[in-house]
Amino acid sequence: MPPRQSNPAAEALGVAVAARVPVLLWGAPGTGKTSAIRAMAAAMGLPCETVIASIREPSDFAGLPIVVGGEVRFAPPAWARRLAEAGHGLLFLDELSTAPPAVQAALLRVVLERAVGDLTLPDEVAVVAAANPPEQAADGWDLSAPLANRLCHLTWHTDPRAVADGLAGGWAAPVVPALPDGWQAEELLSRGLVAAFLHVRPALACAPPTDAAAAGQGWPSPRTWEMAARLMAAAGAAGSGDEARSALIRGAVGEGAGVEFLAWLVEMDLPDPEEVLADPASFRLPERGDRAYAALAAIAAAVAGNPTEERWTAGWRVLGRSADAAPDVAAVAARVLARCRPDGAALPAEIHLFAPVLRDAGLLQA
Amino acid sequence: MTERGIDGLAAARLWAATRFPYLASGVFGAAVIPSPGSATVSVDESWRMRADPELTADWTAAQLGSVLIHHVCHLLRSHGERAQAVTTGPEEARAWVRAADAEINDDLVPAGLDLPGQPILPRHLGAEDGLLAEQYFEHVRVREASGRRSGSWLDCGSGADGVPRPGEGPGGLPGWQADLLKRQVAQDVLSYARQAGTVPAGLLRWAEQTLNPKVDWRRLLAAELRRAVAQVAGAVDYSYRRPSRRSAVAGDVVLPALRRPVPEVAVVCDTSGSMNDDLLAMVLAEVEGLLRALGLARQVRVLACDTAVAPAQRVTSARQVQLIGGGGTDMGAGIAAAVALRPRPAVTVVLTDGYTPWPAQAPKGTRVVVGLLGAQAPDAPGWARAVRVDPELPGDGVR
Repeated sequence: MPPRQSNPAAEALGVAVAARVPVLLWGAPGTGKTSAIRAMAAAMGLPCETVIASIREPSDFAGLPIVVGGEVRFAPPAWARRLAEAGHGLLFLDELSTAPPAVQAALLRVVLERAVGDLTLPDEVAVVAAANPPEQAADGWDLSAPLANRLCHLTWHTDPRAVADGLAGGWAAPVVPALPDGWQAEELLSRGLVAAFLHVRPALACAPPTDAAAAGQGWPSPRTWEMAARLMAAAGAAGSGDEARSALIRGAVGEGAGVEFLAWLVEMDLPDPEEVLADPASFRLPERGDRAYAALAAIAAAVAGNPTEERWTAGWRVLGRSADAAPDVAAVAARVLARCRPDGAALPAEIHLFAPVLRDAGLLQA
Repeated sequence: MTERGIDGLAAARLWAATRFPYLASGVFGAAVIPSPGSATVSVDESWRMRADPELTADWTAAQLGSVLIHHVCHLLRSHGERAQAVTTGPEEARAWVRAADAEINDDLVPAGLDLPGQPILPRHLGAEDGLLAEQYFEHVRVREASGRRSGSWLDCGSGADGVPRPGEGPGGLPGWQADLLKRQVAQDVLSYARQAGTVPAGLLRWAEQTLNPKVDWRRLLAAELRRAVAQVAGAVDYSYRRPSRRSAVAGDVVLPALRRPVPEVAVVCDTSGSMNDDLLAMVLAEVEGLLRALGLARQVRVLACDTAVAPAQRVTSARQVQLIGGGGTDMGAGIAAAVALRPRPAVTVVLTDGYTPWPAQAPKGTRVVVGLLGAQAPDAPGWARAVRVDPELPGDGVR
């Protein structure tokens, strides 16, 4: 077995912590969320302060009011002082979903602005939270939509094999992603991608959840899209796997919007049909069958939409270049082209390439 | 690419993509690997198919193409994942594959799937068409318990039964890309259905469910109830009735303490003639279970209501509720009666089929959660939080 980070959620967690994006792990009780987070902090050399949100009062996060010389100050608790003095660290908010709504409200500023009472924690402090799904915690509350919107939601799965291995041979040390200096430069690129996507799907720029069950999950808003862009850049810079990158994006903006964005990214990779028709020699067939099909179908559809003789011949040249690697995919597109032959266009030489496979498939009844 | 490819694979795919154009992305998205000596064509959950060239050499393009389509459908319908929810052990996994085959074949064979051998159809299992694999699975189990075998087909692989096979190492399509591919196929199915209109109904249902997954009403109802209770109860409010435990450090400032009032809950049941009693009992039991989980079982009062309201019954179990009534409906009367109760309920749950007049404004002093029973129920008023309860929708284990 290659020594790869087998758990995409752990990989995604590392990226989010390294990028200092507030992150929330959802998972059943006893599945090792807490120990994974502590191990991550230790591996990164960050002091870890654990605060169990459910047994705290709002004043633990909003600051305890004390009267000093006739005015009220909001004194931060000791854990916040320690983090501020260390200058960096990991604030771990455990049991977030069992925190009563008033405590969740007090946490809003802590999570996003790192403000605890009158004290502001340094930017180098990462905020990580863990929660049990409300169905699994007897006294659980759904996360309020504003709090949910400030976090990247990751689902913590347990892999039975990893548990077995860990019990027998000790738990694997977490792999800490290394972000090279200046990785923030990539954020510009990913922001551009997000912006381009939102031009196409403006409805997804801000879509607050409508039903109560979805309210506790990530949902698209300008803040979460910014978060997604940041996470995407960090995942790219850390060289993390596609699975972790996809989990981070879906965790930030929610499942529905995240999947649409990912699908759009995949489509972005396909060649532009008009460019290919202008220069058939530049066409390179995508390796994966379904992508090759999508590319060739788009080209055939572009020709069928405006079948001039020149475009038609160019289309056949593209298919001819693909016939060797993927005769079946190209033949599907060839059938579309054959049906839209412009008047007077000469039969292209490529058409003979497809006769054998069409005959074998029983599609050439003479 | 490989030393000995699979003869006629290109022709088979072409046949499949031409005959079932809406599944073309799936057919081309799956990798086909020659696997001499395996004596079958199988598929794993990473979209890799393994085919024995000896076996497929005798098949026509249509037959091999049909097997490819069949396996793609195993993947589209997440049979491997679903198998893990209902089967234990290899014997049951084999029974599951028969059920899964029936779910695919019941509308694709009539649509022109030309499988080699004798494909399993629902009638071989003693079932009617159009069911889910979980339902077919029950039929298979009943038949096998009485010693009757229901057809046999080659091993479909881990993509159909979720049991990992040796040699299925890492690689193939990663999970999230497989999800995107599934959505792509679902979109193809829907757009094809819109243009040409000839997509098997089961596949169309699958596509709609994939693109717009309907959330289980139990989850929605639970979330709405928790939210209503949380907004009333919980530690939402500070109270000066009892000083804070932190007063010691605050000097002269009197700090409030957190108080957790226990909310009363009233359930108003529509008992008019148009109601479905079984459904009402099911939803009532669900509400009761949820409240019990919130620690509120004792605070529940149930009112039966049509146009008049029966006196409130304090119940400890859904079975104790007597549904009296019939005839017309006015939920406004039921809500008014709930608000008049003392102590006043902080949360009122209304279970109705929706064919009722509603008050124009939200009642004062109570939050209303409406359970709309039945898929055709008219909408609830805007001031109430409504959950649509559709018994046709997936409960456990079905997605």
